[in-house]
Amino acid sequence: MSEREPPITYADWRQALEDDALLGLECRCGAVTATPKRACPACGSRELAARELPTTGTVDSETTIAVPPAGHDSGTVAVVDLGPARLLGRIDGAVEIGDRVVFAGARTADGEPAPVFEPEEN
Amino acid sequence: MTRATVVGAGMTEFGQHDRPLTELFADAAIPALADAGVGTDEIDALYFGNAMGGQTETDTHLAPAIGTHLGLGGVPCQRFEDACATSSTAFKQAVEAVEAGVHDTVLVGGVERCTPATGLDTAAMTEVFASATHRQYEQPTGLTFPGVFALFTKRHMHEYGTTEEQLAAVAVKNHRHGKANPYAHFGKDVTVEEVLEGPTVADPFRLLDCCPFSDGASAVVVTNPERAETVAGEPVAVAGVGHRTGTVPLAEKESLTATRPAREAATEAYDQAGVDPDAIDLAEVHDCFTGAEVLATEALGLIEDGRGGPAAAAGRTERGGEIPVNPSGGLKAKGHPIGATGTGQIAELTEQLRGAAGDRQVENATRGVAHNLGGDAATTVVTVMEAVA
Ligand SMILES: [Zn+2]
Repeated sequence: MSEREPPITYADWRQALEDDALLGLECRCGAVTATPKRACPACGSRELAARELPTTGTVDSETTIAVPPAGHDSGTVAVVDLGPARLLGRIDGAVEIGDRVVFAGARTADGEPAPVFEPEEN
Repeated sequence: MTRATVVGAGMTEFGQHDRPLTELFADAAIPALADAGVGTDEIDALYFGNAMGGQTETDTHLAPAIGTHLGLGGVPCQRFEDACATSSTAFKQAVEAVEAGVHDTVLVGGVERCTPATGLDTAAMTEVFASATHRQYEQPTGLTFPGVFALFTKRHMHEYGTTEEQLAAVAVKNHRHGKANPYAHFGKDVTVEEVLEGPTVADPFRLLDCCPFSDGASAVVVTNPERAETVAGEPVAVAGVGHRTGTVPLAEKESLTATRPAREAATEAYDQAGVDPDAIDLAEVHDCFTGAEVLATEALGLIEDGRGGPAAAAGRTERGGEIPVNPSGGLKAKGHPIGATGTGQIAELTEQLRGAAGDRQVENATRGVAHNLGGDAATTVVTVMEAVA
C-alpha cells in the first residue's frame, strides 16, 4: 500500500510557530485549514499541500479568562479569522469582535507554544 | 415508534460526596434496579460512564470493579468516555443493543466526582476539564471550558444582541427550578443582580452563569418494550436518540453559534420519533453555562434562532411557560457530575413523563427531549422520550 506522507505534522506546525510563521494546509478543492490533518475537513481528500497562512486577521470572538487552568495565566483568547481559515490564539492587548489583529509569534506556557496575536497598528 | 423502554431510574443527590466511585455509583444503580423491579441476575450488560476518573482519582478500568461491586456476575461491563456526554453515549449504545436484540435488559449510568472532595482545587480541576479541548491547538492557549462557551456566547451576543441580563435570567430560572428538586446541588434562589455582580470567570460569564463542580451518580434500566410489560417499573418510551459529531478544534467550526451537531442530532431524534419540536412538552438541556442553554434551545428548535436570550428573560422557558426548559434546575442548579449528567437527564425525563416529579412536575407532560453535549458541543446526543399510555 502506498500512501502519501502527511504534508505537515504537528511537529512541523510547532516548528513554524516557533519560527514566527503560521503553517496550514490547502486542499485541491480550495479549502484551507490552519492546523495539520490527514484529510481535508471539507471534502475528505488526502491531497493536501502545506501553505503559509496570512498573518493578519479579524477577531471572530474573544473572551478574557479570569480563572485559568493550572500552569496558565489569566488572559484573552480569540478565534481569529485569517481569511482562508480560522485559528485560536492568545491575544496580547485588548480586542473586541471585528477588530483587526496581527500575528506576533508564539507564547509558551506549560511547555507548548500557542499563537499570539496583537491589535493591528492603525 | 418505541426503540427501547426505560423501566427504572435512580440518582444520588448531586453535590459533594466523599466516597469511592464504586459506592457512589451503587447509590444510583440500586435505586434504579429497585424502581424497575429488576434483579441484578436479569441485567445482561452494564454500560457505564465516567469521564475523568483516571485524572481525578487515579481510577480507571472501572466497569469490572462496578460490576463486581453490584454483583452483576460475568455479564459484559464497559466504560464510555465522551466528556460531558459520557453517559448519553452509553445510553445510546444501550438503546441500540436492546433494539437490535443483542441484550434484553441493560443497566446504564454514570458517576463522577469533581468537587474539592477529590483533593483537587479549582485550578487543578479546571485543568482536568480543559483536557477535553484540543491537546495541541487549544490547550496551549490556556483555554478553559467557561472560555469555550464564552467564545460561542459572545459571538451570539454580537450577532443577535443577546445581553448579560438575559443570560442571568437563565441562571435565575434554573436556580428557581432547582429549589424544587431534592437531587439538586443548589437549593436557593438567586437574583439577576446577584448574577451580574458576581466575579468574572470568563467574560461574559460570571460565577453564577457557570454550573458547579459536582459529585454524583445516575442510572437507568433500559429494556425492550415486550419485557417492559413484565416488570414492575412504570415504563417510559425512548422514541428517538440522535448523536452527531462536530469539528475540533473549535476555531474550525463552520459556526460558533449554531452548535451544528445539536441541530443534526435533534433532527435525527425528532425524525425517529416522528415529531416536530412543537410536540415537545419539556426539555432537559446542557446548560453548563447560561449561554449554552440559549444555544441549546435554539438548536433544538424550541426557540427561534437568536431569540434564546429574550425567551429566557420573558419566562417562555419557565416551568409553566410555553416550553419548560430544565425543570430539574439543569446543570446550573441540579449540578454537573460530568459522567452522571447524561443519564441524570434521562432519569429526570423518566420521572416527569411518569407524572412523578413532585413539586417540579411539568403539567401534562407526555413528551420530553434531553440534550447532552460533550466538550465544545462536538459530541451531542439528543433523546426524545414519551409517556406510555
Ligand atoms: Zn478538500
